[in-house]
Amino acid sequence: MDWRAHVRRHLPTLDIDAARETDVIEELALQLEAAYERALVGGATEAEARASAEAEVPDWNDLAVAVVRAERPVAARVLPALRPRADAPAAGGPSDGRLLADLAQDLRFAVRAFLRAPRFTVPAVVALALGIGATAAIFGVVRAVLLTPLPYAEPERVVGIWESHAARNRPRNVVAAANFLAWTERSRSFSAIGLVGPARATMVFGEEPQEVAGLAASSAVFPALGVQAALGRVYTAEEDLRGNDAVMVISHEFWQSRFGGRADVLGTPIVSNGVPRQIIGVMPPGFTVAGEKGDFLAPYGWTVEQLRAAPGRGSSYAVARLADGVSFAQAEDEMRAIASDLEREFPQRNAGWSVALVPLHEQMVEGVRPALVVLALAVAAVLLIACVNVANLLLARSTVREREMAMRTALGARRGRLVRQMLAESLVLAAAGATAGLALAWAIHRGLLVFVAGRVPVPRLDQIAMDVPVLGFTAALAVATGVTFGFIPALLASRTPISALRDGGRHGGGPRARRALATLVAIEVALSLVLLTGAGLLITSFVRLQNIDPGFRAEGLLTARVSLPGVRYDEAATTAFYADLIERVSALPGVESAAGVTFLPLAGPGMATSFYRLDRPAPADGEAPTTHVRPVTPGFFRTMGIALNAGRDLTPADRDGAPVVAVVSETLARRHLGTIDAVGHRLHVNIGRPGGMDVQVVGVVSDVAIASLDADHGFTVYLPHAQLPINLLTLVIRTAMEPTALTPSVATALRQLDPLLPLADVRTMDEVVGRTLSRQEVVAVLLAAFSALALVLASLGVYGVMAYSVAQRTQEFGVRIALGATPRSVVSMVLAQGLRPVVAGVVVGLGAAVALTRFLESQLYETPVLDPWTFGGTAALLTVVSLAASYVPARRGTRIAPVQALRSE
Amino acid sequence: MAPTDTTSLQKGSAELLVLATLDGRPRHGYEMAQLIEARSDGRLRFQAATLYPLLYKLEKRGLVQGTWVEKAGERRRRFYKLTAEGKRVLRDRRKLWREFVEALDRVAAVRNA
Repeated sequence: MDWRAHVRRHLPTLDIDAARETDVIEELALQLEAAYERALVGGATEAEARASAEAEVPDWNDLAVAVVRAERPVAARVLPALRPRADAPAAGGPSDGRLLADLAQDLRFAVRAFLRAPRFTVPAVVALALGIGATAAIFGVVRAVLLTPLPYAEPERVVGIWESHAARNRPRNVVAAANFLAWTERSRSFSAIGLVGPARATMVFGEEPQEVAGLAASSAVFPALGVQAALGRVYTAEEDLRGNDAVMVISHEFWQSRFGGRADVLGTPIVSNGVPRQIIGVMPPGFTVAGEKGDFLAPYGWTVEQLRAAPGRGSSYAVARLADGVSFAQAEDEMRAIASDLEREFPQRNAGWSVALVPLHEQMVEGVRPALVVLALAVAAVLLIACVNVANLLLARSTVREREMAMRTALGARRGRLVRQMLAESLVLAAAGATAGLALAWAIHRGLLVFVAGRVPVPRLDQIAMDVPVLGFTAALAVATGVTFGFIPALLASRTPISALRDGGRHGGGPRARRALATLVAIEVALSLVLLTGAGLLITSFVRLQNIDPGFRAEGLLTARVSLPGVRYDEAATTAFYADLIERVSALPGVESAAGVTFLPLAGPGMATSFYRLDRPAPADGEAPTTHVRPVTPGFFRTMGIALNAGRDLTPADRDGAPVVAVVSETLARRHLGTIDAVGHRLHVNIGRPGGMDVQVVGVVSDVAIASLDADHGFTVYLPHAQLPINLLTLVIRTAMEPTALTPSVATALRQLDPLLPLADVRTMDEVVGRTLSRQEVVAVLLAAFSALALVLASLGVYGVMAYSVAQRTQEFGVRIALGATPRSVVSMVLAQGLRPVVAGVVVGLGAAVALTRFLESQLYETPVLDPWTFGGTAALLTVVSLAASYVPARRGTRIAPVQALRSE
Repeated sequence: MAPTDTTSLQKGSAELLVLATLDGRPRHGYEMAQLIEARSDGRLRFQAATLYPLLYKLEKRGLVQGTWVEKAGERRRRFYKLTAEGKRVLRDRRKLWREFVEALDRVAAVRNA
């Protein structure tokens, strides 16, 4: 066996020169080895030989004292009471060189001490790695998404401008083109003001048509953001106008993936929505407009007359750059004034409408900030719990080391020196934790990207990296945690009275240390409870969201979008094409029924407008109620599984030229027409031709979740697509098969009709519904993961403290059992004592959770922030887990035979 | 002779034993322990825990000198030898102890009891 390791394991750290200490260890090891071998030669068994070698040193502490005394005769003779005060600077104190040597020695001691005590080191490093790793990973996300400024010139001067309508609860609405024109003509606050919105274009590469998502943007968007093309140029104000607009700028990413990064891409003609355009520029890598990526940017191609006459509000908003010397507040004032002028001048369009300015960075991050703040707080709590855990372990260990510390104090080590030694130990621990934590952070970061990407549109998610700032943050975190969790135990331990030497060092853990341990356990439990409660509330809310009836049967439905280029399809051709396509798809094997809708429920923004009853006087401007409007084809309700409650479905006979009809949602019928059986009522709907159109209600259907599952399902008017032929339709196809199995045959049917049209956004309806919940899902899952981590750490903490305390009290248990106590009663006693800090932690944690969960309110659906079931459940869960964590060591402590327990005294 | 303080004699006896084993030639620690045990027919035993602190103290006081010695085929060991000062102290101690034992014998007849 390795006797040198044996000596290293048992001999307390000697306060002497390191080389000398190595000599001592080697010499002792040689002697033990010789004794061992001699015993073997003399016929002893392996175990006997070992015992006889070990008998050479009956007490390692005594030996250490004796060695240090021999080595440092003077120090040993000076009584502690006569030495100068520990914190007073000693005359001829250590020089800098000596300090460095001491530091190196401290670190070496620390590493050795940890290697000697894996049962302490492993849980401590694991706890730290979990805490630091999770925190570093989330910090990486927070930095990339929230903190990094936008990559524009003077990004703080860029604002988004929206319209707003307080009465309709629309704080940010897309902008009416005519109003945008008025803003550009009247405002003086901006050096540039441009319009931007989503755009989709069908492009054909080789034989393959593809739908590409991009942005429609006016030329002023570029100076407003302060960006230039990385290659070529951006377009000019002249090119905004119809007739000059056959140009396009593409993204760096699109350039790379579609054009292989070729430099001669400039000038390439490309047919977009049937219109030839020329590529004139490539944007810099990672370019977005407030986080919105677009593979292309193209001008609107308007005329000023068209802008002025444009009805309704499209899908764009304005971005502007504050002019020099103009503050945000000044610009806001001016825009509000312009908006109220416009409201007066054009009440039909603007009654009730105003404007909302928002810094562009704020606009981009405000959606994700609440969730990220919740997650950041959660990981901070996990880190805190990890630190508390390590402080716990260090404290428990330091009470065991009381005797060592007391001895070193007696031998002349100054208190400052001991504190430094213990801090060095914490730092070594933190460094190990940080190293492991970084590896973990990297893994979490990868997992997070995979988990979040495709679920939630987080701006700049692709820019999250484990880069230098994140590494620096991790290092700072490690040092901070090292000092924090090392400081208190270090102070406690270094103040150990000399009496620790007298009682043989076995009693350990005075009342002060026990109180400190109990307090730390309570803190851990309280923090975990807050996290668990938060996660519990989010999960409850998520389950309730999932159980909302959307009003249709999502399973067994395939959806896919087909848009027609306006240049090739007029209204009549559009209607004919879609009717033909739906007929072909309906005839496909496996298809039960098929229909179409312009904007699929739950799949993003759609159409909405004002309406009123024709049998009542028309309401004043801006006072009419609003409704969702959905052009649909016949058979839509049957295919979606939406119940027809009165009247009839739309039919092919409801075509252009026939009387305009509508099917309305149940709530609209009840609230506005006063009856579910609303057939025969007439409505004015402000859509289609200028001034809107009058429709006759022919049917009433159940309410459907249109915009989101949790919003009020509200009013919906379904119009026959043939009477409002928009060149955009999403097919809904019901089948008994696995829905996606239909994709190839549907694509073939489309290709047979028009080989230049792509089948876009092919998804099952289940996916569409699931996608609307993905933000809640991501937050709930992540918070649940972090709180599970917290629970594990807290139960480890409880376990560690109990195991330590039981080990300290084994003799006491032995005596109790010897005196007639049953093991069961001893276990109960230990559990009762162990539960006290847990209960205290639960009480404090409940209080903190009551105060903190209200920050979750905006994220919760039909779940009160003080949901008693969640609070009660998590408190019970935590108590039970803590009980289990206490039971194991309690049981082990009492299983030891009384005699054995007593003998170890 | 001057009266001898018995406390210091007791303390000194272990030192005397250690110094005496080094009289004549250098030895390593374990050898010294073996020698003491053998010469006393097993009556005196020096555990490592006693021997080494004592050796270190004697070394600090300049009575013995330890040197690591490496021999081919063997592990390196630390050999201790008496310094000149050590030899002088050993001579003095022997004399002191001889006188002490004789005095003891005259008072308590320890030799022929």
